[in-house]
Amino acid sequence: MRIVLDRPRCEGHGLCEEAAPQLMHLDDEGELVLDREQVDGGDAALAQAAARVCPVAALRVE
Amino acid sequence: MSIIHLMNATRATLTEGMSTPPTSDVDLFADDVLLDPHPVHAELRELGPVVHLPKNDVYALTRYDAIRAALGDWESFSSTSIAFNPAANQALTGTSLASDPPVHTQLRATLTENLSPRALRGLKGRIEAKADSLVAELVEQGSFEAVDALARAFPLEVVADLIGFTGRVRENMLRWGQAAMQVIGPMNQRTAENFPIAGELYAWCSEVGADDLAEGSVGRAIFDAEARGAIPAGTAGHIIHQYLGAGVDTTVAAIGNLVALFAAHPDQLDQVRAESALIPAAFNESLRYWPPVNVWGRITTRDVEIEGAVVPQGAQIAVLLGAGNRDPRHYDNPDAFLVGRNPVDHLSFGYGPHGCAGQGLARLEAHAVIEALARRVRRLVVGPEVRVPSNITRSIEELPVLEVVPA
Repeated sequence: MRIVLDRPRCEGHGLCEEAAPQLMHLDDEGELVLDREQVDGGDAALAQAAARVCPVAALRVE
Repeated sequence: MSIIHLMNATRATLTEGMSTPPTSDVDLFADDVLLDPHPVHAELRELGPVVHLPKNDVYALTRYDAIRAALGDWESFSSTSIAFNPAANQALTGTSLASDPPVHTQLRATLTENLSPRALRGLKGRIEAKADSLVAELVEQGSFEAVDALARAFPLEVVADLIGFTGRVRENMLRWGQAAMQVIGPMNQRTAENFPIAGELYAWCSEVGADDLAEGSVGRAIFDAEARGAIPAGTAGHIIHQYLGAGVDTTVAAIGNLVALFAAHPDQLDQVRAESALIPAAFNESLRYWPPVNVWGRITTRDVEIEGAVVPQGAQIAVLLGAGNRDPRHYDNPDAFLVGRNPVDHLSFGYGPHGCAGQGLARLEAHAVIEALARRVRRLVVGPEVRVPSNITRSIEELPVLEVVPA
């Protein structure tokens, strides 16, 4: 599965990083960086959790 | 029965498994319901995920999944009718709040450029210092009225400094902010009384210029952006309007609620005092338990099916955020205030393209207040809280803190 970021929608709230710090982080400028885009197994569940808490629906897993 | 109604009824019976939503004679905007909406929310939620309320001429969304899906689906649930009266919707035309993509996308980007967490990072230290000195002073004082002294004082100061408000505006922020929310309601007496006050804010925002706002403030930066063409001409005033209209009354409610909830649930305050990692969780739970925004609008752009019930095109929707937040299908033991549950997916900031644009600032403010309370307060002894019915925002009007047991 793949994590897809809708970059213009992302406002840097950072809730996804709290849910899945292994997969993504906010850089020094507050921009979201996906450290991994392809995920499976437990990581896919983490990615789903991160997408779920995004308050502006900027993340999805497909 | 008109021919259109007959046709709709026939179509509904012909489509297999489809039905019309259940109906209730509840009035969402009656004083007693606004003061304590939870029993009515529970009643409506049990009737179905969507309930027709003829008294308000709305279809109410009551369950977590239906609400979250509707907020995420701007194509079916348009924001062009977020208010419950046409005059307010008309006045909001052209703002990001009341528009849909693709127009919304640009307006939203302009609004959040100076309000997103990344834009606000530099303010964290100042906001925390302000909260701490204010709470320290109140603890020293020993007794105080928490709404005026903390819930209003703190966000007013933060927002005024952020936007660069001075003089007359600073004095009017609270009444303007309250009126801007009241007029979102249906055309009842509260809305009628508040339109002139909301109009003062509207008039001021259409005349305000860079020089009226303090140098170095975010408000000044918005006008600078307009001057250099980074945002469309004439939008700076709209943005200031939204900062004030949306960012004051709601945050005041949230902070008042925090004080009341910690006073009523000392065991929950103890947990936060023992574990500062629970600060964001405590804010999430307070928002879930008592959402500052009680009800918000949408309008359907087509016939929409919700779990087998069909809501017709053009229906005014009432999104009952608090009903979704206490849906037992989503949260166990939903009527209990438990900071440990950390409900990160609560509905109180909305969700999706229109998710609260100021939630980053709200978090900075609330986390700073919780941190200061957790550090300095062991227990709060309070008298009875006073509430006043209000169309949209649900907040505490007065909360006497009779005694502070310091940490």
